[in-house]
Amino acid sequence: MENRQSPMLELIDIYKNFGDVKVLKGISASIAKGELLTFVGPSGCGKTTLLRIIGGFTPLTSGKVILDGENIGALPPNMRNTKMVFQSYALFPHMNVRKNIGFGLKLKKWPKKKIDDRVEQLLSLVYMEGLGDRTIDRISGGQQQRVALARALALEPKVLLLDEPLSNLDANLRVVMRDEIRNIQERIGVTTIFVTHDQYEAMSISDRILVLSNGVIQQIGSPMEIYEKPANQFIAGFVGYVNFLEGTVKKADPRAETISVSTEYGSLTVATGNQRKVDIGDTVVIIIRPETVTLFPAERTDLPNTFHGRVESKMYAGNLAKYTVRIGDKALVIDQYNPKDAIQFQRGDDVTFTIPETVHILAKPAIQA
Amino acid sequence: MAAAAVGGVRNSFVYKIRSFINKNLVNLFAGALFALLAIFLVYPICAVLVNSFWGEDGFTLSFYKEFFEYNFYYWSLFNTLILGFSTMIILVVVGFCFAYLTTRGPLSLRKPLKIIALLPLAAPPYIFSISLITLLGRNGFINNWLNLNFNIYSWTGVIAAQCLAFLPLSYMMIENVLNSLNPSLEETAADMGASEARIIRSITIPLAAPGLLKAALLVFVMTIAEFGNPAILGGRLPFLAPDTYLMITGEGDFNMASVLSLVLIVPCVIIFFLHNYVLKGKGYATIVGKPTATEPKEMSPVVKIPFLLITIPAAVMILLSFGVILLGAFVKIVGVDNTFIIDHIINTQSNIAIWNSIKVSLAAGLFGAVVGTLLAYVIMRGKFPGKRIMEMMALSGFALPGTVIGVGYIIAFNRPPFLLTGTIWIIILNCVFRFVAVGVEAGISKLHQISIEIEEASADLGADFITIFIKIILPIMFSAFVAGFIYTFMTTMMSLSSVIFLVTPGFDLASVYIYLTAQLGELGLASATTVKMIAIVVVCMAILKIIAKKTGLDVSKQQGV
Repeated sequence: MENRQSPMLELIDIYKNFGDVKVLKGISASIAKGELLTFVGPSGCGKTTLLRIIGGFTPLTSGKVILDGENIGALPPNMRNTKMVFQSYALFPHMNVRKNIGFGLKLKKWPKKKIDDRVEQLLSLVYMEGLGDRTIDRISGGQQQRVALARALALEPKVLLLDEPLSNLDANLRVVMRDEIRNIQERIGVTTIFVTHDQYEAMSISDRILVLSNGVIQQIGSPMEIYEKPANQFIAGFVGYVNFLEGTVKKADPRAETISVSTEYGSLTVATGNQRKVDIGDTVVIIIRPETVTLFPAERTDLPNTFHGRVESKMYAGNLAKYTVRIGDKALVIDQYNPKDAIQFQRGDDVTFTIPETVHILAKPAIQA
Repeated sequence: MAAAAVGGVRNSFVYKIRSFINKNLVNLFAGALFALLAIFLVYPICAVLVNSFWGEDGFTLSFYKEFFEYNFYYWSLFNTLILGFSTMIILVVVGFCFAYLTTRGPLSLRKPLKIIALLPLAAPPYIFSISLITLLGRNGFINNWLNLNFNIYSWTGVIAAQCLAFLPLSYMMIENVLNSLNPSLEETAADMGASEARIIRSITIPLAAPGLLKAALLVFVMTIAEFGNPAILGGRLPFLAPDTYLMITGEGDFNMASVLSLVLIVPCVIIFFLHNYVLKGKGYATIVGKPTATEPKEMSPVVKIPFLLITIPAAVMILLSFGVILLGAFVKIVGVDNTFIIDHIINTQSNIAIWNSIKVSLAAGLFGAVVGTLLAYVIMRGKFPGKRIMEMMALSGFALPGTVIGVGYIIAFNRPPFLLTGTIWIIILNCVFRFVAVGVEAGISKLHQISIEIEEASADLGADFITIFIKIILPIMFSAFVAGFIYTFMTTMMSLSSVIFLVTPGFDLASVYIYLTAQLGELGLASATTVKMIAIVVVCMAILKIIAKKTGLDVSKQQGV
């Protein structure tokens, strides 16, 4: 997703050390105006530290933070036009909802009437009309979340920073609030950075995702790119379940844009796409998502990329049936969606399965992390 | 055969006693402890109360009338309240500055400032009278050096000494509340554009308010109950605690002494209740996110400079005070004749006083720990009416000013059936019951950590109560026992306000000896004795710190002498 505009926020070669510990090792990224970018990664990967550096709460060791063309890397939080919603919401417990939202405006010495109007407008933006006079302990967790959001939006920040904003909510509310945040963000078009450790949350809310591990960017891309074309095995395994299959390239046909890979299952034909160049003899890793494999009764052998195995276990989960199929000494996890309308197999059945040509492949040395 | 053997055991005398104890041990303890608390805590206080109403001609209000008619008396009350208020206000400000700097200030300052703010805990409060006299008294070396004509025996002197002595109390409370504030609240305010000064005003102080109030109340109570500093530095100014003492030693007027000490109780009791029942659990609960590594931010000079201007002089005074006490112990007269001598340190009377104090403190510590541990157990696990009353009785000794209990003891134990006056026991018992609260609280918090199911499980496995008590409860409570012992030992060592009523001529305790030598201007002897006392207290604190580290039971920060 190339953007032609100049970016709203640019991170240039950011390093951060806590004493001897290198938390961030050269982060560079740019975020377009109005975009929602998610930082995702396992705990301790440095995503919150990176967010706090952008917000000005943690000084950086080296690098630049360019906000709308201006280097703000050395400014304190109160001097930069980024606003943060903390994981704990950080609502002031000694002020009511209205005062919390208006806090920044009051500091900016807005006249009282103007503050009141703006606060009303924000309350309605976050669906909290009429609750302005409540104290913080008398609104629910989801409402606290909205107040924190409204307070951060009050000053119309150039970049909104959200630090794991949904982690204090229970599972159902989390989905509701996730959609609501995305909805509000798209309506007012504020450039947003969202930090989460939950890859599904990241997938569902983002324009683009930045996957961070051990202080290094593993990949930046749209959710689709991250899922379908992961840059390495770490990302492939981090988002969703994946079967890894190793093989050696046997035949590369440049005209058909396919290669033939010899694997433990047998020979497999794979489309190369247009970017990946592999040569005969290279070792590759094939990324097989469980839901892309199709199961057939053992008699079907007329399809391409067909292999044989035996059902080792089956787990029925309503919307899908999860099979583990054994092929020699390898096991393959296969998800069969809508099992009601499909042929179901039982433990011990001999089956045939097909792997689509469009599976993603990684050159072997690409393993990082 | 087996049945016969069991039957034989069941009929044996030992078994009968054992099963009786098994059934009734907690209640037996409860009865004994009730009796002890009644005799050694309730009875003396009632004796004071009765004495304030009971003259030679029976019931009368004339003593109270006298109190409010003579300006000497009611000025004593006013002065005490003024002293309490001014110390309270100064210490909330100074304590806040110290706590802010040690929790949010530059890293290099945090540790040293914290140590200095806690340093006065290692010494009795009246050490600052001695150091201030050494520094700024008539012959004080700063007075001489700068040729000041400063009079330390004044309001300034008393307030300064009280502030230095009770800084740790205010600091610890405020530091605690500042540490517990969710840092993202202040960060959000900064994010919204607030300057540091604005954050302190709009966020930090309002959120810390309950803690600041608690600190203020505690400082107030401790200050008005303090005997040493106003007695030594008060000069001609009347204050309630020293006046009560003079009323007995000078005039032998037990009735007026009772009135004076009761007048002192009133604000203490009010504040004790406010603190324990009204303010308990007050504060703001905030959702806590994950702890993030917050690095210290550069403080803005608008905040940093005034905060340093407040804390640095206080820190310097504390260090200087400990310095001159140490120096005073080893030179002839600090600043006047700085020749090294060991006469003060090896002085026989000082050593006898220290030795007496150690003996008394050991006995009080041991007895106090036993009583405290048993009280804690009985309060937590007993099932009898009056448990709450028992707990309040046990904790009241700590809340009451030492003067009241001191007066109560001489009145109550001056005649049969409890004739104890003049013996070492009256001092020991006095300290046991004044400080037992800390042992009780330590024991209760220890028992809170262990589920009653542990005891039930032991019973389930076949243990009877005696076995459970010896094998399970005592080992678990052992750390509380040791903590109670050391704490009582340490506070008895430093205690002055109530033992001063109870010592007899010829039997000096270290604290009383320090007070008397300071009164007489024998600063060298006072300093030397204080140095020895500090050495003992520091060892005790080290032991308490080790207990706190090993078992999580921290009583080292209780202050009350």
